[in-house]
Amino acid sequence: MSINDKVPVTILTGFLGSGKTTLLNRILSEEHGKRIAVIENEYGEVGIDQGLVINADEEVFEMSNGCICCTVRGDLIRVLGNLMKRRDKFDYVLVETTGLADPGPVAQTFFMDEEISSEFTLDGIVTLVDAAHIDQQLGRSDESSEQVAFADVLVLNKTDLVSDDALDTLESRLRDMNRMTRIIRAENAKVPIETVLNLSAFDLDQILKRRPTFLEPEYPFEWTGVYDLDAGKYELMLEEGPDPEMSLVALANQGESEEELKDGAESSVRLYAEKANTLEPGNTIPYGEHINLKLEDKGNKSFILNIEKPLKIGLFTQHTAEEFNMKVIKSDENKEIPFNTERFWQAEHEHDDEVGSIAIERFGDVDPEKLNTWMGRLLSEKGVDIFRTKGFISYSGNPRRIVFQGVHMLFTAQPDKEWGNETRRNQLVFIGRNLNEKEMQEGFDKCLI
Amino acid sequence: MPDIEPFSPRGMFHEGWTAEVSDYAIACGWSLKGKQFIVGDVAGGIFAFEGDTGKIIWEKENTHSGGLLAMAIHPEGEIFATSGQDGNVQICNCHEGKVIKTLDLGKGWVEHLKWSNDGLFLAIASSKKVYVFNEIGEEKWISEDHPSTVSAITWSNRNELATACYGRVTFFDIVNNKTNQKLEWQGSLVSMELSPDGDIVACGSQDNSVHFWRRSTGMDAEMTGYPGKPSHLSFDDSGKLLATSGSERITVWSFIGNGPEGTMPGELCHHTEPISSLAFSNKGMLVASGSRDGSVVASFLKKDGNGDPVGAAFAGDLVGAISWRPDDCALAAVNAKGVVNVWKFKVRTNLFSKGFK
Repeated sequence: MSINDKVPVTILTGFLGSGKTTLLNRILSEEHGKRIAVIENEYGEVGIDQGLVINADEEVFEMSNGCICCTVRGDLIRVLGNLMKRRDKFDYVLVETTGLADPGPVAQTFFMDEEISSEFTLDGIVTLVDAAHIDQQLGRSDESSEQVAFADVLVLNKTDLVSDDALDTLESRLRDMNRMTRIIRAENAKVPIETVLNLSAFDLDQILKRRPTFLEPEYPFEWTGVYDLDAGKYELMLEEGPDPEMSLVALANQGESEEELKDGAESSVRLYAEKANTLEPGNTIPYGEHINLKLEDKGNKSFILNIEKPLKIGLFTQHTAEEFNMKVIKSDENKEIPFNTERFWQAEHEHDDEVGSIAIERFGDVDPEKLNTWMGRLLSEKGVDIFRTKGFISYSGNPRRIVFQGVHMLFTAQPDKEWGNETRRNQLVFIGRNLNEKEMQEGFDKCLI
Repeated sequence: MPDIEPFSPRGMFHEGWTAEVSDYAIACGWSLKGKQFIVGDVAGGIFAFEGDTGKIIWEKENTHSGGLLAMAIHPEGEIFATSGQDGNVQICNCHEGKVIKTLDLGKGWVEHLKWSNDGLFLAIASSKKVYVFNEIGEEKWISEDHPSTVSAITWSNRNELATACYGRVTFFDIVNNKTNQKLEWQGSLVSMELSPDGDIVACGSQDNSVHFWRRSTGMDAEMTGYPGKPSHLSFDDSGKLLATSGSERITVWSFIGNGPEGTMPGELCHHTEPISSLAFSNKGMLVASGSRDGSVVASFLKKDGNGDPVGAAFAGDLVGAISWRPDDCALAAVNAKGVVNVWKFKVRTNLFSKGFK
């Protein structure tokens, strides 16, 4: 049976009061033409309006080896086992977990039980978050952090109860914990049905399409603009923004291709590592230096760019141009010069929470044996703390890329599309608690050929 | 089904009859001493066929709202019980299918039904509780809550009932209301079979192993290496061979001599997809297996558990259940498409009669 013939399953999780039942009722009452079976725990918050609802006990089984990474849900196996026999009647299964439940054993059931995994495929994990209360919960309970870590989609619910600024801060905190997740804001759990069903959450291509930067290394700058400038005097003009200063590196002869931009970014990272020289408004911006623009004054502030002969300059800025409405203006003509190319980068964040995500991206092939040994050891030592893994790998000698995904210690890998002319590379994402990024990257690097 | 060519009965399987029920057939059994064959489908349809011809005798639809989960035919073959997602058990008459008694056990699924060998008691498992009723539906005993949902029940002798749940097997004396024995093992026990003398308790576990205990000595052992969870177990009538399966292979452990500890099990590899039902014949070392690939095979086994196929047929789709007629002269298989196949089974020894009359 191919993966497409399997019935997709969405796990719906979230703390008590986060709006799971409201979302379920929305999904069930919407005109979507799907026949959805809902499996919910015995202690559901409120009744479900319609649809097939099966009560399940909360029955988590540890295996005899005592490994808590390999737990499964007995109730779910029984209920799905029975649904399997009536599968012509269902297109989709939704499993709602209780507010305090760890989504792990639910997700693991789809890896551990061969009968279940032969008929059903875990399509994704949707976590509802109560925007007004999650901040306190994240600090207090492990379960809420884990629910965030497991999520393919985070529905940030009850946004009407919270200010925009607080939402931005919360979103960035959640994003730090789980870089792969898609965050959707909602009032009263009002989200389009396609945001929670048919996610194909383990399809890394889709994730990359949605968030092209999620696997990238973090940079000390968020934005690059490349400007094509003739000889002459220019002003870099900034309005008031969120910060009284902003770091910047200006590079001469900056190319516009992705590769050239990445080269420029690498050079800028090295320059950013050096101490910044502070520039007051009206000062001239030097090339190839780390500088810090003073932006304390009210109103517009201008800094000078002197161009001796026509060239492309790249501005690598700590914040995005939009935040300061930053413009390049040709002084004598008072004319704005638009950028030719812009590029956003994954900015460095402070990691306050224990739960976080790590991405590894490397070009080239890996030695399958070395990778197995490394991955096996990593997951057996850290499996309890690694909630999710996803990625694809280039095995040496294999024309197809290998796609894998896992929950705790359990993971599956299967051959995917052929590499063809694409550059062979490896992308891995780990989400978990107290992960050592450097150690993991070094471990992976040793598997490369 | 992939890789499987439909084929007509071969070897000791001979043409019998076929019929159809309304939905995925999950339970079946012979009643009226083999004169009748009853099939239950997942939607709650129950159908009684004439054992020799397949002619429909009676049928009922929607006996359990939400669906049927289990069926058990009384050893005398005059009555049978069914249970479902509605939390009910119905005891019915085999001749007309008429309901004699409905037992309402609450909202939990009723997943397991077993008549005691003497037919005096019906054991029923629903969620964490096990109930015992008599033939006419009077309640005789209720267990305390088990630590988790009861995954299997079976009678060891007249008054003793064994239950399996996560982490343990318990033996209850249901007449004197006491616990005779508890066998503990941390693991999710998904199936249970007792040897005919009740001494050996074999359980399939979620973590792809079979755990068994000998009650007389208190010894226990674990058989690992299964590629899938061994949800199908069957003892032969002498209790010397235990057939187990958690994949497309059948592994047979022999308890002869010092076995099975330290011995190599027999292996039967006839199917291309995992086994979905497994049953020893009522007499003799003949085991029948049905698979998700739709094939049904019967194999004669040797003392070491190895054996050769002696008959095979293609049932068309995932085999939901198989059942030997009480005299072993016919084998029935029901499948996921609701197709019922009954083949004559002709053996060439004097121990068996010669098939249909």
